[in-house]
Amino acid sequence: MKKTAIAVLVLFLFASLLAGCAKKEAQPQLNLFTWEGMFPQEVLEAFTKETGIVINYSNFDFNETMLAKLEAAKGRDYDLVIADDYIIETVISRGLAQKLDKSKISNFGNINPIYQGQFYDPKDEYTVPYGAGVQTIVYNDDAVDIDIKGYADLWDPSLADTLGIIANHRVINGMALKVLGESYNTEDLDTIRRAGQKLLELAPNIRIIKDDNLQDDLLSGEIDVAVMYTSQVTMAKLANPDLRVVFPTEGIGFGIMANFIPSNAPNPDAAHKFIDFILRPEISAQCFEWLGYYCTNKAADDLIADEYKDFLTLPEDFTGDMEMIRSVSADAEEVHTEVWTEFKAACGQS
Amino acid sequence: MKPEALAKTGEPRPGEPTSREEGARKPTKRRDAMVLSVLPLYVFTFLFVIGPLVYMLVLSFLRRAEVWGVTLEFTFENYANILKPVYLKTFLESLKLACLTTLLVALFGYPFGYFMARQNAAWKRRIMVLLMIPFWTSSLVRLYGWIIIFRANGVLDGLLMALNITNAPLKVLYTYAAVVVGMVYALVPFMIFAVYSSAEKLDWQLVEAARDLGATPFQAFWTVSFKLTLPGLLSGIVLTFIPSMGLFFIADILGGNKVVLVGNLIQEQLMKARNWPFAAALSVVLLTLTSIMIALYRKISGVKDLEGLV
Amino acid sequence: MRKKARFPGIYLGIILALMYVPILLVIIYSFNESRINSVWSGFSLRWYRDLFRDKDMLEALINSLVLATVSSLSAAVIGTLAAVGMPRVKLRGKSVVEYISTLPIMIPEIILGMVFLVYFSLIRLPFGMITLTVAHTSFCIPYIYMLVKARLVGIDKSYAEAAKDLGANEWNVFWDITLPLILPAIASGVLLSFAMSLDDVVISVFVTGVNTNTLPIRIYTQLKTGVTPKVNALSTLMFAATLLIIMLSTWFGRKTTLSVKRRNT
Repeated sequence: MKKTAIAVLVLFLFASLLAGCAKKEAQPQLNLFTWEGMFPQEVLEAFTKETGIVINYSNFDFNETMLAKLEAAKGRDYDLVIADDYIIETVISRGLAQKLDKSKISNFGNINPIYQGQFYDPKDEYTVPYGAGVQTIVYNDDAVDIDIKGYADLWDPSLADTLGIIANHRVINGMALKVLGESYNTEDLDTIRRAGQKLLELAPNIRIIKDDNLQDDLLSGEIDVAVMYTSQVTMAKLANPDLRVVFPTEGIGFGIMANFIPSNAPNPDAAHKFIDFILRPEISAQCFEWLGYYCTNKAADDLIADEYKDFLTLPEDFTGDMEMIRSVSADAEEVHTEVWTEFKAACGQS
Repeated sequence: MKPEALAKTGEPRPGEPTSREEGARKPTKRRDAMVLSVLPLYVFTFLFVIGPLVYMLVLSFLRRAEVWGVTLEFTFENYANILKPVYLKTFLESLKLACLTTLLVALFGYPFGYFMARQNAAWKRRIMVLLMIPFWTSSLVRLYGWIIIFRANGVLDGLLMALNITNAPLKVLYTYAAVVVGMVYALVPFMIFAVYSSAEKLDWQLVEAARDLGATPFQAFWTVSFKLTLPGLLSGIVLTFIPSMGLFFIADILGGNKVVLVGNLIQEQLMKARNWPFAAALSVVLLTLTSIMIALYRKISGVKDLEGLV
Repeated sequence: MRKKARFPGIYLGIILALMYVPILLVIIYSFNESRINSVWSGFSLRWYRDLFRDKDMLEALINSLVLATVSSLSAAVIGTLAAVGMPRVKLRGKSVVEYISTLPIMIPEIILGMVFLVYFSLIRLPFGMITLTVAHTSFCIPYIYMLVKARLVGIDKSYAEAAKDLGANEWNVFWDITLPLILPAIASGVLLSFAMSLDDVVISVFVTGVNTNTLPIRIYTQLKTGVTPKVNALSTLMFAATLLIIMLSTWFGRKTTLSVKRRNT
C-alpha cells in the first residue's frame, strides 16, 4: 500500500514537472537577467499592466556567472541583462551584446551624461546605465577617536579590530594602491606587491571581510568603521543618520551598473520597451529610492525624496578625482589574488 | 561465550564465502537481473559525471586567456602555482579545520545516532523528522540565527552575563570558534544518520548477553556495539569530512572571511580572478587529497568490509 | 531487564533543542520591524506583507520543492538499486565506477556547477528543470549510496538465502526482504538529499534556465541590495508548514494503523 502510494507520488511529480515546462507561452515575454531585488515590485507590475509583457526575472550571483551563462547560451535565452561595468566591456568584446535601437528609447536623453561615454561603451551604443556606486568610508563618530578623512586613516592603530570591509579584492587592494598614490588599474606587478605589503599592516584593524549585509554590523556596533557598497551605505544612513560618510581624499573609485541586450535575445522589442519604461523620470526615481545606488537619470534627480537626496545624487560641488576599476591583465590579476589571499590569512592570525 | 566471539556473529567470518563467489555459482539469469540493478548508476555516471570530470581535468592543464576563458595550450603551471606558500598554507588550514570539525561532529553525533537507535519505533521516526526540519530552512537563514546568538551583546553574551560567568561581551562572532560551531552544526546530521542506520540493525540482545556475562557497560559497548556500528561511524566520518573541505559559506559569514579555506580560494579564482584552470587544478588536488585521506583512514581503521566505500 | 537509563533521553533532548535555537531566533526576528537582521527594534508584520506581495517567491518555492523531491527520489532509486546490486555483480572496473559516482560530493560545488554548465551546453541539454534535476541527482546519489551500503554491511544474508530456497526470485527477495531491512537508510538518505537539494545555490545558479528560479537562487542573489528579513518570514512560514504536514501525517497515520488493528481483531 505504502509502496504504491510512493509510486503514484513519483508519477505525479514527473507529470507536474512536464506541466511546469509548458506553461506561460501565450503572452509576450521579457526575460530579465540580473541580481535579485533590483526593482521594486510595483515597477515590474506597472510595466506588465501597461504593456501586457510578462517579466521572467532570473537571477545570477556574480557578474562572472552571468557571462559564463551567456556564453553557454550563445547570447540567446535572455532579453535584458543588468551587470557591472567591467564585465560589460568583456561581454561587448566577445560579441555577446547587440546595439541598442535608440529610436525605440524616447527617454534616452534623460541619462546623466557624467555616467555616459565610459570605458566599457565609449560611444553609448550598447548600454543604458542603471545606478552607480561610489566608494566611501562610513564610520560611527562616537566610537572613533580620530577624524577619518581618507583611506590612510584606516591604518591608524586606534582602530584595532573595529574595521569592516567588503570582500572585493580589487576595491580593497585599490585602497592600498590609492594610499601609495597609484592607480587602481596599475599593471606594474611590483606596485601591486607593494600595495599587498601595505595591506598586511592593515590586518590588525580588520574585524570582518564580507559582502552581504555589512551595514548590519556597523549598525549593531560590531564594527565602527566600514568600507562598503553604496546601497549598504544608503541603508546604514537611513537607519542611523548620525553616521559620517567620507569621500576619501586619495581619490574616488566608482562603478556603474548598466542595461544591455544580449546579441541573440529572443524578445529585443520587449527589452527596448522596458529600458524606455525605467528611464521615465518618475519610474526612475522610484527605482533608485528602492535600489539605494546613485541615480544615473538626470531627469529623475529632482523627483527623489529629500530624505534620500543626499546619498542618491552627487553633491553640486563634486569635483573628486574619479577612477573606475577595470579588468587588468592576467598577470596583474594573479598578483592581485595572491596578495588578497595573503591579506585575508593575515587578518585571521591577528 | 565471550563478548568478542559474540560480536563476530554479526559480520561474515573470515573464510566465509563472499557474495561474489556465491554469485558466480548461481545461474547466469540471476546475475543478469543484478546487472540491471546497477545499470541506472552506470548510465548516470557515464553520461553526467565522467563528462564534467574529464572537462575539469583537461581544464586544469590549460592556460587562462588574457580576458576571459582559456587558451588551448598545455601547461603544468597551474599545479606549480599551488606550491606557492600562500596557497599551501590554505590547504593546510582547510585540512586542520576539516579534521577538527569531523572530530567534533563524531563526538556529538555518534552518541546521538546510537541512542536514537535504542528508542522505540515511534520515537525513532519522530526524532528523525525533528532532526531534519531545521535543515529544510535555508542555510543562510540558519547562519543568521547564529549571528544573532554570537554577536556582541547578543543572546550568548546576554546569557553568560546574566549567569555571571562573564562580565563583558565575548565577541565570538567573526572568530575561528564561530566558524567551528557553524560547521559542526551544519554537518552533524550526516554523522547521526550514518551511525543511526548502522546502529539500528544492531542486535541489542548481544549487548544484553555481554552484560549478563559480566562485562561492564563500557566493555559491552566497546566490544560489541562499537565494533558493529563502526561502518556507520566510518561512513559518517567520510560524509562529514568531504563537505567540510569544500564549505566556504560558513567561513565567510560566521568567520568574517578571515579563515581562508580551499573552497574560498577556488570560488575567488573562478568568480573574481577568472582563472578557471587554476581553480580546476585546485579542485583536482583537493579531490585527490580527500580521496587519499579516506583511503588512509580506511586502512588505519582496518574495516575491510567496507571495500569500495569511496 | 535492566533499569532504563535516563541519560540517553536527556542527551537526545539537549542536542535536538540546540538544533532549534537558531531557527527559533529566525522565527522571532521575522517579526522584527527593523531591516537589520540582528538588532531588535519592535514587533511588525511588514516582512510578511512584503512576502505575500511577491508572487515570484511562491513560484520559486514550488520549483524548489518539485526539484528537491524529484532529485532525491531519483537518487534514491538509482543509489539503492546500485548499493544492493554492486556487491553481487561481476563487472570489470566496478570499483572505479563506484568511486567516480561518488565524486560529485568531493568536487567543490562551484567548480562542479561551472563544468556542468559547459558540459550541458556541449551535449545540448536545454537549461531548466532538466539540467537542475540532473545536477542535483548527481550530488544526491552518493549520500543514498553510502548510507544504504553502510546499512547493508553485515545484514544477515541467511534471510535472502532462505527466501531463495523457498522459490522466491531475485525481485521478490529485494522487494520483500532487502528493501524493508534497508528502508531506514533510504529514508535518512532521502531526507538528507532533500535538504541538500532544497538548499543548493552554487550549482543551481549555473545550470538553471530562464523560467526556473529556485528559492535559494532568489535568496542568495540579493548581493546588490542586501538580504532582507523577508527571508526570515519565508523560513518561518515554511517551518510552520512542515510542522503542520508532519502533525497531519502522524494523525492520519495513527488513524490508519488503528483501523488496520481493528480489522485484524
